[in-house]
Amino acid sequence: MTPKMEIRAVSKTFHARGGEVAALQPCDLAIGNGEFVTVVGPSGCGKSTLMMIAAGLEAPSSGEILVDGKPAGPAGPRRTVVFQRFALFPSETVADNIAFGLRVAGLERAETERRVAEQLDLMGLTRFRGAYPHELSGGMQQRVAIARALAVRPEILLMDEPFGALDAQTRTVLQEEVSRLQRELHYTVLFITHSVEEAVYLSDRVVVMSKGPGRIKCEIAVPRDAPWRGLEIEEAGNHASFMQLKREIWELIRAEIVRH
Amino acid sequence: MGQKRGRDVSGRSAVRSAREPVAWGAAAVGLLLLLWWLATAIPDLVPPRVLPSPIDVVLRFVALIAEPFSGATLLGHAVVSLERWGIGVLAAIALGLPLGIALAWLPPLRAVVTPGFELLRYIPPFAWVPIAVLWFGATTTTQAAIVFIAAFPACIINTQLAVAQVDPILARAARTLGAGSARTLAKVVLPVAAPTIFTGLRIAFSNGWMALVGAELVVGKQGLGFLISQGQINDSASTILVGMTTIGVLGTLIDAVLQRAQRLALPWRPAAARRFE
Repeated sequence: MTPKMEIRAVSKTFHARGGEVAALQPCDLAIGNGEFVTVVGPSGCGKSTLMMIAAGLEAPSSGEILVDGKPAGPAGPRRTVVFQRFALFPSETVADNIAFGLRVAGLERAETERRVAEQLDLMGLTRFRGAYPHELSGGMQQRVAIARALAVRPEILLMDEPFGALDAQTRTVLQEEVSRLQRELHYTVLFITHSVEEAVYLSDRVVVMSKGPGRIKCEIAVPRDAPWRGLEIEEAGNHASFMQLKREIWELIRAEIVRH
Repeated sequence: MGQKRGRDVSGRSAVRSAREPVAWGAAAVGLLLLLWWLATAIPDLVPPRVLPSPIDVVLRFVALIAEPFSGATLLGHAVVSLERWGIGVLAAIALGLPLGIALAWLPPLRAVVTPGFELLRYIPPFAWVPIAVLWFGATTTTQAAIVFIAAFPACIINTQLAVAQVDPILARAARTLGAGSARTLAKVVLPVAAPTIFTGLRIAFSNGWMALVGAELVVGKQGLGFLISQGQINDSASTILVGMTTIGVLGTLIDAVLQRAQRLALPWRPAAARRFE
């Protein structure tokens, strides 16, 4: 079966003053339809660069991105992005932020309204539909960003350390919510994080990257029917199989950090 | 001040703290007027030719409104000045905003335009008066051209800065949602840049106003600057003071109108940002 998205031999070299800096060694990664794949790795391993290339926001130095077996082309609503820094449009209300992509797509007003209402409901934002981003907490802002990215019904959702800028409690709540959405709606997701716990809790597969210039070191499958699925993250973390996976991945990353 | 609209401001103490500075300011102005009046009321302290009493100035103000002086009433002179200013400032905005946006959005253009622009920028508006008179004669065009030259740099520089400072992540987010360049600019970048652009407009408006009065002192047969120069020729300090006050009050009003317009146009601005205006 053709994977939904394929990262094929993608590498990236930046041209800096005084020479070239390799950020990514050739990487291969295939994401199946409805699969939640998380990339973890030490900071500076190029995982965010890989994400930007996957989104079409940055050009790879070599290799290509395929969607349904065909070149993905420039950035667009087939692959929407949730950024770490939310990137909400400050001059638009919550509802208008969510409607942005729908209006670009030229959807009818009634359909736009319907889908905005659906996303507001899904993310628990209905009360805030008329608020401006600066009036919301970080967690609420990121909910809006997720709603905005989902409203256009993307084929692939790209999430670049989406909970990295949130406090611990908010992060936990949003992790549980994304996990719930994923179990109900089965999006195809490429998720970047530096939190091993988050990676295990959310993913079907965890990809570990090596220290920069990054390359994919190994992949670890997380069974969909693991006994802790559907539990709160605190509880899930107490399960032996969860701890075992976490330890295994953490050891791989630790080896990268201490490697000279 | 944004206290009236600020959502975070509530309760009586906030209202009191908003009114107090106004009260102190009014008291200071009152004291100044009192000192002025005292200086002119004590015989032989200050001759009326140097400093007329506040009452004389008010009487002169009424007279200037009622009957023409040097070709027009006070209102007539003010209207002429405002017209010249309006034309110059509108031209500066009409050219400065699109050019500023283009400079920020299209880096190659910046490389072409910047050196010449930087050179011209350091020629003061008044240095353009002789060449403007040579080109356009002693006409409204000349005065408006001086206003334009004074107002244009603030328009274009602030617009360029404002657009260039918008976080590029917003444009990226718009692209992933399918928006093209034009839509990203219009719907995402410009609204975010608007407060800084407005600041540029405020500077442009006041630069233009000041340059106009200067130019009117030298060239022309009407306008507030011309009025005060006629006051000097006629040895009438009260006329000069009426003219100066009118210039100051109109300048303040222009700025107040623009600030109000900004608040109406940008309701989404964080209250914190408003408070520093």
